[in-house]
Parts: sequence; C-alpha cells; structure tokens
Amino acid sequence: MRRSDLFHDVVLIAPAAIVFGAFFLLPLVHLVMVGGSGPGGFAVYARILTDPLYLGSLISTVALSTAVTLATLAIAGVVGVFLSRNRFPGDALLVALLTLPLAFPGVVVGFLVIMLAGRQGLIGDISLWLFGDKLVFAYSMAGLFMGYVYFSIPRTVLTVMAAVEKLDPRLEEAARSLGAKPWHVVRDVIIPGLKPALLSAGAICFATAMGAFGTAFTLATRINVLPMTIYTEFTLQANIAVAAALSFFLGAVTWTALALARTAAGTSVAAAG
Amino acid sequence: MFKRAILAAAMAVAALVPAAHAQQRAICYNCPPEWADWGTELKAIQAKLGIMVPEDNKNSGQSLAALIAEKANPVADVTYLGGQFGILARNADVIAPYKPEGWDDIPAGLKDPDGYWFTIHSGTLGLFVNTKALGGKPVPKSWADLLKPEYKGMVGYLDPTSAAVGYIGVVAVNQSLGGTFQNFDPAIRYFKDLQKNQPIVPKQTSYARVLSGEIPILFDYDFNAYRGKYADKAPVEFVIPAEGTVVVPYVMALVKNGPNAANGKKVLDFVLSDEGQRIWANAFMRPVRASAMSADAAAKFLPAAEYTRAKPVDLGAMADAQKALVERYQREVQ
Amino acid sequence: MTGRGLAFYLQLAFTILVSAFLIVPVALSMIAGVTANYLEGVSGGLTLDWVVKVWGLYRETIYLSMAIALACLAVTLVVGVPAAYVLARRPSAVTRAIEELLVMPVAIPGLATALALIVTYGGFRGFRTSWLFILVGHVLFTLPFMVRSVLAVLSTIDLKTLEEGAASLGAGPWQRFFGVVLPNCRSGILAGALMVVTLSVGEFNMTWLLHTPLTKTLPVGLADSYASMRLEIGSAYTLVFFVMIIPLLIAMQLAGRSSATRPAARRGGA
Repeated sequence: MRRSDLFHDVVLIAPAAIVFGAFFLLPLVHLVMVGGSGPGGFAVYARILTDPLYLGSLISTVALSTAVTLATLAIAGVVGVFLSRNRFPGDALLVALLTLPLAFPGVVVGFLVIMLAGRQGLIGDISLWLFGDKLVFAYSMAGLFMGYVYFSIPRTVLTVMAAVEKLDPRLEEAARSLGAKPWHVVRDVIIPGLKPALLSAGAICFATAMGAFGTAFTLATRINVLPMTIYTEFTLQANIAVAAALSFFLGAVTWTALALARTAAGTSVAAAG
Repeated sequence: MFKRAILAAAMAVAALVPAAHAQQRAICYNCPPEWADWGTELKAIQAKLGIMVPEDNKNSGQSLAALIAEKANPVADVTYLGGQFGILARNADVIAPYKPEGWDDIPAGLKDPDGYWFTIHSGTLGLFVNTKALGGKPVPKSWADLLKPEYKGMVGYLDPTSAAVGYIGVVAVNQSLGGTFQNFDPAIRYFKDLQKNQPIVPKQTSYARVLSGEIPILFDYDFNAYRGKYADKAPVEFVIPAEGTVVVPYVMALVKNGPNAANGKKVLDFVLSDEGQRIWANAFMRPVRASAMSADAAAKFLPAAEYTRAKPVDLGAMADAQKALVERYQREVQ
Repeated sequence: MTGRGLAFYLQLAFTILVSAFLIVPVALSMIAGVTANYLEGVSGGLTLDWVVKVWGLYRETIYLSMAIALACLAVTLVVGVPAAYVLARRPSAVTRAIEELLVMPVAIPGLATALALIVTYGGFRGFRTSWLFILVGHVLFTLPFMVRSVLAVLSTIDLKTLEEGAASLGAGPWQRFFGVVLPNCRSGILAGALMVVTLSVGEFNMTWLLHTPLTKTLPVGLADSYASMRLEIGSAYTLVFFVMIIPLLIAMQLAGRSSATRPAARRGGA
C-alpha cells in the first residue's frame, strides 16, 4: 500500500518537477554560465560590483525599493489597521477600491502616473489653479517613487488586514485597562503583534520593487534602475553576458531579502490574496 | 470546473492555430507605424503584394540586439535601421546581401558596396516643437537655447544607448559645436548641462507625445515634424538649429537566414520601387531615388537656405565611434 | 461602540485620500478613453470611436492574452493542484524546500527568467516564435500562486483522516484524489484560478522579452500604444484592459470574502 502511495505521489508531482526543472532551473543555470561566457569570462561578475555604472544602478535600485517599502508599510499599516478595526458604512467599498490595482502591470501604472503628474496631468492642472505654477514630476525620481508605491499598496493592505484579523484583541484590552494611552497601545501591542506580517509584506514589496521594469520603461526616466540597466545592456548589441550577470545579482539580492524576512518572520511568506 | 477550463483552453488554442497560417508574411524589425509613416507603407505592402508585415516598435538598438540574440534561428526577415547601424549589423554578421531593383539609382555613399544594406530615405535631425505646449515661451532656435531654464521639463531626446536617432542627436550636437568623431567633449558637456533641465529620455518613437504636448520639444527628424504639421494638423514646427545639424540616411537590409526570405526580398523590392518611394516622399522624407520626390511635397519643407546648415555624415566613422560614445554617455551623463 | 473620536476621522480621511490616489487615475484614464479629444475633456463630447479604433488595431493582442491566460490556467491546474496535494500529504523539510523552489520564479525578476529562457530555448525557431514560448513564462510565474492557494486550503482540513476514511471504504488512490481531495479544496482552486488568470493577463516583464511581432499580448500592445499612439488611443486601450481585468479582480475579492466566512477552517497557513 505504501509503495503504491509513493508511486502515486511521484506521478502527481512529476509534471510540476518537469516543467520547473526544464523551463526554470536549467535555463537559470545556463544563464549563469552565459554570464561567464563573455570576453571577460567569469570575472564579469566581480566587475559588476566594482564598476561605478552597474554598482550605482544596483545601489539606487536598492535605495528606491527600500524607500518604497518603508512608505508603503507606513501607509498600508495605518489604512489596514483602521479598516480591520472599524466598521462603518462604505468600509467594504474602500477595501475594494484599495485592492483593485492588485494586478495592474507596471506599464499601466506608468501611464497612470503620467495621467496624474505628466504635462497634461491632474496634479499639474490643480497646482496651476492653486499656485499658478504647473507641477510636473512624472519623469523624475518622484514620479517613479509614486508609481512604485501605487502598485505596492494593494497587496500590502491585504496582508496587513489579514494579519490584524489574527491579532488577539484581549492583549489590547488588557493594555488599555491598565491605563495605556492609545498611541502606547499601538506602539507596544499592535506593531509587535503585526511584526511578522509587516516583515513578510515588506519583503514582497521590496522584491517586487527591485524587479519592476514596466513602470520605469513607460516613464522614460533618467534614473537607471537595475532592470532597465539589464535591458539596456541587452539592447547594446546583445551584450548578453553582462545582462545575464546583472540578472544574477538582481535575483540574488531579491531572493536574499525574501529569505531574510522569512527567517525573521518565522513563517512562510504569504502569497497575495 | 477542472474539465471546463481545459475545454475552454483547448477551444482557444484551436481558434488561434488556423488563423496564424493563412497569410503570406514577412517579419520586419523596426517598422513603427508612427515613424516615417511606416503605417501607410505597411498597408501598401499588404495591398499590393498580399504580404502581411506586422508593425514593430523596436528601435535600431533593440532590433540589432534581437537579431544577434536570434542569430542561430532568426525570427525576422527584414530590418530597418538608422544609418550607421547597417554597418554594425554587417559586422555582427546578421544580414545577407541583396540588391533590389533600383539598386543602381542609389548614390554610392548611401549603400553598402557589397549589397548588405541600402538607404531608402533620409531625413534631417532638428527640433520637433509643439508650439502650443510651450505655454507662451518663444520657439527655441538653437541647441544652446534648450539649455535655458525657461525650457525646464520640456525637452526630450531618444535614448542614445539604444535608439539610432538618440545617438545621431549626440553626433549632430557634437559636429555643430565643433567636435569630431575623435572628440566628443562638446556633446558630452552639452548633454550634461541639459540634464539640469530635466529632460525626458524615451527609448522608442514618441511622435504622439509631441502631438499631445506631453513632450513639447523633441530631438527628431524633419519628416516626423512635417507629418505632424501637414498630415495630422497639429500645432508643431520643425526647427533646424542655428549651430547646424546632420542629414542621416535610414537603411534596410535582408536578415540572414530569415524564415520567409522570399517574401522579405519582395518587401525590399517594394520599398525601393517607384510606388514605395513615393510613399516616403509624401511622408516628407527625402527618398533615396530622388525622382520620386514630388514638387508638392518638396514645397512643404523649410526653405533650402535653412537646409544648408545640415551636413551629411560619414556613416563608417559614425559606426566606429558609437560604442565608445555610448559608454561615455552612460558613465558621464546618466 | 465608543464614540468616534478625532483619531477615527483623521484615519478615515487618510484612508479616503489613499483610496482616491489609487482610483482617481483609473477613472481619469477610463474617461479619457471615451472623450472625443483629451485636451477638451468631457466638455468636448463623448465617443466610442477610440475604443472601436483600438479594437481594429489591437484585436489580436486581446485574443492572444485571453487565450494564453486560459491555457495558463489549464496548465497550472493540471500541474499545480496535484503538486499541492503531494506537498500537503507529506509535510517535511523536503517538501518545504520544494515549496521554496517553486516560489523562486516570483522572487527572480521576470526579465531574468525571460533572458534565461531565450538563451536556452531561443534556438528552436518553431518554439521561439510561437505563443507557447510566452505560455511557458506565464506558467512559471503563476504556478506558485496556484500551489500556495490550494496548499493553504489543504493544510486547514484534516487530510489524513479524510483519506484514511475513504481508503478504509475501499477507495483507491486516484478515487481518493478525484472524489475526496479535489472537492474539498474547491475554494483554494477557485482563488488560485482567479489569481492565475489575472496575473497572466497583466504579465509584462517577461512577455516584453519573449514576444515577437506576431505574438504580442495586451500589455505589450499597451506599452507600444503609450509610446507612439495618441493619448486617446492609449486611454481607450487601457479602458479595454480594465474592462477585462476589473471583473476578475472583483471576483477574487468576492471569493476571498466568501471563504473568510468559514472561520473555523482558517486556522493555519500564513
């Protein structure tokens, strides 16, 4: 009985193993090898860490992703806790609106940023009417930041709300009954209670921001985030070796961030929705 | 639910497969409908030759990279490239020689001596300006004007690291400011200064963005500007900068070992034929077979006196200098 | 219920502001898609002309995106549900490692996965130029979501007892899988299915590198239209995209809501 069960299980998981092995693991290993097949050999991997252009791109991407993660966690934290803890007419509508952009591709988000902050954008019109000066920031770091926060909020709000629902309200009641002010309750009970969820949500936010390509592509900014650098290298006469090496670093940084957050949070990272 | 999903997927697949095989096709890399009026040319190719050529928005750099990446098994049959990219493509061994009818009409400097690529039309680089979107500011008249703070956030140029017109813009600025292909200091200094005005740097053709006013001033060709003004009736002007500029040929080539080589050759024949050339002429390009130029279209260009400031370029020198300049731009300007 | 203090209203205002930030551009873009002239706005008149034009220009991309999404769903169902079942049956360090591995395509940026596919399989021209090439990328990216979704549901029910019960009544392994396990993870399959289809329709990073002029999907077409087409066309195209994807997103929200009303079942899983 047990042997046929094992056989049965292997047959059931075999398709996944084959698809994954053939189309992901094998090509990735191949890509790493291709990274070392250029004129510089495997030294190109080391060169990336010393070359100011690539290192600068890596650092600016990490910095942007970190800033986006912190801002998103702050915003989604406040909004998520508020919506989970309060019932009022229209609360379901707000949740629906906040999580609507969940799967918008980066290109669409870039387009929406242009609608808001481009030359004919809403913000430009409002600022012109209010201050007489048209505010246009779609094509600068501010626009890119805004776009990244835009697509990060929905998923993070969902995770925070799910986590708040699991919090034990008795801890808060106890704190309050002992005389703690609302802000202290937040700081000493709620935030520590949410820490695992915030960590894992933050890790996903960071990983998504690191790998985001469509938004930067549409916004045509001069800021070179790493995915754009990879794409540029690829289109510079198919400099595949450098593109592959850069991809390796991008994947490594992202994967490390997720792994770190997982060990810190103690649970597996939540998939969205 | 399981079974229903599979059935739906199977039906979708079945619906797609027959549709894909009925048509004669040729794949072109870099045939953007909103650039040089390729839209009309592609429709003409479909109507006259019965060959469907899907439009493609890759720029020259993206096309060359794709051709190199696909060298072992090419996807494209023909490609359209900015002037010097023809030489780069030949060096990369991704194109094959083919001399269409009308080959002899092409002047010597505008085609590869062995037939690897040939010019189909040329244009002059300058400033494509949406006068209405300037918000009352004067129309710029020179490269230097764009450095003025009043044009902050209004200037755009295509990315020199991938688009041919991007690199050519750098060359145009360089030549007109006294630089040479050995010395790009004037251009690098200029673009560094330009960054203070927060330019927009798209990777692909941005014709519509100028018309909508999203990018009021774009480094672009006269043909795109004239098309905006006369065909689409937009409030746009073309300006040949006071310091000077360059005239650049755009070339086409047959891809080596393309999947539909016979159709590819027919397409190349067409773009060089009287009818094909007339479409370029009506779209305000200078067709390489000058006989196709009509007086009517010629009348819509800026006066010849303005065009004396536009000089032709040495394609070979441009190709040789490209890699170094692109790297320099990446390090010093970006 | 205590009285609503200042803190409540401040947080409410903040939440409304954030919601507006997310929704107003969507509404703007949908309206822009039906105005006759963007610069004149609604006062210039409404028209469906742009949407009709978009349909004429980009019809194939819409069909292709739908076909790929459905095919992706079929593949992830066939490949992912059994895999989730096996992972749920045998919780161990090995299966946890397998789960980690399956999540990698989500962690690794789509650009890198696409590059890897191109350098490895780009040489097979038939494969490279067909929509199957794009499908492979989509399956890799969406498979973890299907597996996770089903696994989450399976880990809340007592699989062992259910299976032993069925086995003691004489059900073989296949009967158990199709007759007992599958019906019990219906909600996980539904949630996973919606996620897979939504993600596939919106996938861009990988598809941008994997596509050819003949295999353009909707997001790829959108990128083209934003750069080179009139704002009204880009907006109308975005409107079509929203019309396709917003019902899916709403369905996901509703499905999530209905499974949340089963409080006892939602004890485990992150």
